[in-house]
Amino acid sequence: MSDQHFNPDNTDLDRLHGAVKREKADLPPGSEPAPMWVMFLGFIAAVLAGGQMGSFSGYGLESVPTYGAIQDPRSGGGPQVQLSPFELAMKKGETAYGTCNGCHQATGLGTPGAFPPLAGSDWATGGTERLIRVVLHGLSGQITVSGKPFTAPAPMPGWGATMTDDDIANALTYVRNSWGNKASMVTPDMVAKVRGTEKARSAAWTQAELEPYSKKDVAGDAPPAQ
Amino acid sequence: MDPDTDSLRRAAIDRSVKGPVLFLFTNAAFWLMASTLMGFLAAAKLLKPDFIADCAFLTYGRMQPAHIAALVYGWGIQAALGVALWLMARRTANELKGGQGTLVALGVLWNVAVTYGIVSILAGNQTSIEWLEMPKAVWIVLGIILLVFCWRILSMAARTQRSEGFTITTWYLVGASLWIVWILWTAIALLGGNLELGAIGAGISAWYVHGLILLFFVPVGVGAAYYFIPKITGQPIHSAQLAQMGFWILAVIGGWTGMQRYLGGPLPAWMPAVGAMAGVLLMIPVGVVGINHHLTTLGQHKMVAASPTLRFTFIGALFYPVSGIILALISAFTTGVNLQFTHAWYGYQIVAVYGFFSMAAFGAIYYIVPRLAGCEWLSVRLIRNHFWFSVYGIGTIVVTSLVGGVQQGSSINDPLQWDQGFVNAVLSGQPYMAARCIAWALILWSNAWFLIHLLLMVAGLGRRSSAPTLLTHGHEEHLPEAANA
Repeated sequence: MSDQHFNPDNTDLDRLHGAVKREKADLPPGSEPAPMWVMFLGFIAAVLAGGQMGSFSGYGLESVPTYGAIQDPRSGGGPQVQLSPFELAMKKGETAYGTCNGCHQATGLGTPGAFPPLAGSDWATGGTERLIRVVLHGLSGQITVSGKPFTAPAPMPGWGATMTDDDIANALTYVRNSWGNKASMVTPDMVAKVRGTEKARSAAWTQAELEPYSKKDVAGDAPPAQ
Repeated sequence: MDPDTDSLRRAAIDRSVKGPVLFLFTNAAFWLMASTLMGFLAAAKLLKPDFIADCAFLTYGRMQPAHIAALVYGWGIQAALGVALWLMARRTANELKGGQGTLVALGVLWNVAVTYGIVSILAGNQTSIEWLEMPKAVWIVLGIILLVFCWRILSMAARTQRSEGFTITTWYLVGASLWIVWILWTAIALLGGNLELGAIGAGISAWYVHGLILLFFVPVGVGAAYYFIPKITGQPIHSAQLAQMGFWILAVIGGWTGMQRYLGGPLPAWMPAVGAMAGVLLMIPVGVVGINHHLTTLGQHKMVAASPTLRFTFIGALFYPVSGIILALISAFTTGVNLQFTHAWYGYQIVAVYGFFSMAAFGAIYYIVPRLAGCEWLSVRLIRNHFWFSVYGIGTIVVTSLVGGVQQGSSINDPLQWDQGFVNAVLSGQPYMAARCIAWALILWSNAWFLIHLLLMVAGLGRRSSAPTLLTHGHEEHLPEAANA
């Protein structure tokens, strides 16, 4: 490995080995005993470590001790509170209404001149036969809402393909019982029944076509709406 | 032995390992640079995900594993092998008898394999196994190369020439050489096939990560510290008894930890329990080593300031207990429940691989390279630059990762925040990501100079002098005791 070429710099042994020469000798380690307090601290660490094993041994524990039993902090919710079918539908409906509130707004008032209101609307609280059909297939053309004519610039799209029966039923129960509205519950069975009857339909409805259903409710038992 | 003969002998040992060791150090420094750059980019992507968003290979999901792979396989293991080779040759007074060319060739193959692995990660072809994201063929190539290197290191230990026999450094290096082969080949055997392991595969990968840190990086780093601290201060290691305790407890329990990473996860409950137990118990060997180093350097702090090697080794030895405490915090279930799967895990990896191991490796490199290259480090300013930027950068990353991790984990676990989106916890961590980004930029700056400095040394362009480069302004003559740095 050593360089054979003549170079005064490379033959300067003192410099070449300078780093090695100035080193101190390797020393064997000292013979001080380990301090007592080190043993004591080690003992504490060992007890803490043992605790990790103990807690995971599973005696009398239903859950992993890492998390323990977690309290459900949601107001009125949680496994200990039993919701009535209506309360449950309203709760889930509020979430399902997320599909609708882009146009009809969270207040249910719609947008004047663009999207009709649901609050206080005879369409919302009227016959469920008509209401379910509107949601399933959509609605186009001029309509009359609570006696006043309303022209929407664009038809309402149908949601039958994207929303499940459960979601439609919950959303409609929510619409029929919010913002001062009061009407019967809509159950998933009712939505399924209408969906079955109108299997062939894909086009949006018009007010005239829906007139026969305007006061008709889908047959079937529904829990009482409180 | 006659002192002149002894120094000639040591010079001969140094010459025998020169080729492989300098090759490993130089390539490691290149990878460190690459890793730092990718660490910066990964942090930048966490801070602003839409920053250069059109480049698929720059996305966080590829940058982060590439950054860690470059840090671990490119820099860490290469630097560790270089340090271990030199230390073992010196400690056992053995010259490396032949095979230097083979070792360099294997080093080239190692770098080719790592390059291929990291390019694969960046190209989107990763295994999704933590720390083993490189393609499986690469693991096997690395495993075979490690077998050869570890065999050479171990066979030197088997032919110890020194009258005092084994010392602490030798134990640690023997341990590290045996354990890395065990850990890597276990991972290859269990994870390398096409077995559908399910949840336990993640557990094995976590065990591998902890094993590589605790049973390879830790013993090489601690072994180097145990060598350089008494070597430079001229003060023997305080207590052989503490040193033995630290080594054997680490040896016995180091391999039991890892599975606690999936605390509360779909693994048999005893696995995380044993891992958590070992993770907390490791505070004992870590603390014992910390105390031993502290008692040895007590009263030597002037020399720590002057010698580059001692400075880096000392700060590494300080980061070691810190990494042990962080590991215990992540492992214990009372604290770990909020720290698992958060930035704190990144903080642990960085404090262990960079804060502790790399600092100790820098210390060793500052000591070894002048002896191999035959010249002295050029610039005090560059070394100082490297030191302070690294210390502040790593300190910032570790502290912000821990604090950010606690905040992230506790806000996700807080039952009162049940209605908050996950993204809120991510967004509230952004200030910490800004700090991480700046810290990596600082380290990038320091590592660029380290690389240039090292390349100049390897090219033989260092200072021609028989006096060492010390970090004290023109006071060398007042510090004769520091003159052997």
